[in-house]
Amino acid sequence: MAENKSIVPNGRIRVAVDAMGGDYAPEEIVKGAVLAAQKDDVEVFLVGTTNILEQELAKCKVTNGSSIHIVGASDVVKENESPVDVIRGKPNCSVAIAAKMVKSGEADALFSAGSSGAAAISAIQFIGMVDGVYRPALVGSLGSFAPNTVMVDLGANVDCKPHQFLTFAVAGAVYAKKFLNIPDPKIALLSTGSEESKGNDAVREAYSLLKSSGLNFVGNIEGSDILNGKANVIVCDGFVGNVLLKFYESIGGHAQVWTERKLKKYPPLRALVRLLFKRLFPSTEISSETEKAGGGILWGVDGVVKIAHGASRAPQIANAIESAKEAVKAGVVESLKLELAKFDQGGKL
Amino acid sequence: MTIEEQIKDILARITRVDKAIITRESTFKEIKADSLDVVQALVAVEETFGIEIPDEDAQKFQNFGDFVSYVESRVPQTEKV
Repeated sequence: MAENKSIVPNGRIRVAVDAMGGDYAPEEIVKGAVLAAQKDDVEVFLVGTTNILEQELAKCKVTNGSSIHIVGASDVVKENESPVDVIRGKPNCSVAIAAKMVKSGEADALFSAGSSGAAAISAIQFIGMVDGVYRPALVGSLGSFAPNTVMVDLGANVDCKPHQFLTFAVAGAVYAKKFLNIPDPKIALLSTGSEESKGNDAVREAYSLLKSSGLNFVGNIEGSDILNGKANVIVCDGFVGNVLLKFYESIGGHAQVWTERKLKKYPPLRALVRLLFKRLFPSTEISSETEKAGGGILWGVDGVVKIAHGASRAPQIANAIESAKEAVKAGVVESLKLELAKFDQGGKL
Repeated sequence: MTIEEQIKDILARITRVDKAIITRESTFKEIKADSLDVVQALVAVEETFGIEIPDEDAQKFQNFGDFVSYVESRVPQTEKV
């Protein structure tokens, strides 16, 4: 297979789409792909069961060719299957084939709305990680309340080894520079106290690594500091990050319900509150950018890999494909490699 | 390089642990290898030695020593040197 190459001969970014992954696959995936492929600068490869995909494309009045292509895959990952089994049990499933296309240079990016675990594992095994990175991480901007803050990891790694926190910090810094235009992001470790001795074993060890990394590490912060702008990049394991993400995303809705209840006896004020929440109160979704983009990038993979919620419909699928294309154009993988090279510690990052 | 050393290198590279801590008695848990690490190690060992390790056999490995012994028993004698 050819080496990975990100420059596309015809100027189009090629996105390999796991057409069989997602709650509404393949129908919504194909519809989303058709929407995305209406733009001139993208070419979509729908990977999955050929005859099914042909039928779906026919429903959209689109034929295989030009900017949409079908790539056959003999297997699919089912809902209840262990993602790890993909490697040995289903190396020719749709998401694995899509990953292999990125590795071979036949595609510039992979997108899947199927099992996140299967997508991550396919990416790790069949695309490979950037040198120095152990596992991929999810990075997201907090938006609204803390527009200049990103958090890593948002759920890709439930259990983390200390060196992973260091790569999370680098990925977060690249994200903050690229997408938030922060030239020298302040990086903090989320812990139970500001002192170096606070936190569990992995966090304490990560503190030492970050302190000596040369990154703009400002130490530990606590939960109460997350939204106050003390840090531009907040590093935590995926367990903590995912719990926080979902809590944060729920705040707006709960605040609105609570406020409306309190104003039950004052209908005009209630109406005003509803209006305020709808029009003025910022969304607390952790990243409106992420939502608009239809999912997140798996940072650390040696290629652009975009994953989205399983429940995504065609518009979100189209946005995700568009966003994968933009990530390729922005050179996020190359930027991460450059940043990591600065902090190379003998392959032990 | 012996088969044991080669497998140790593979496991250390995948799990990012210092290979000095891996002994024949080490369990995967002790070297902090999760299920993905183990599967990646199995695939890498299969590719390195040109053998197949069925899941049912791999599930019987209690420690690193079992893994090494299994591979040694499957690799042709000439490659063991």
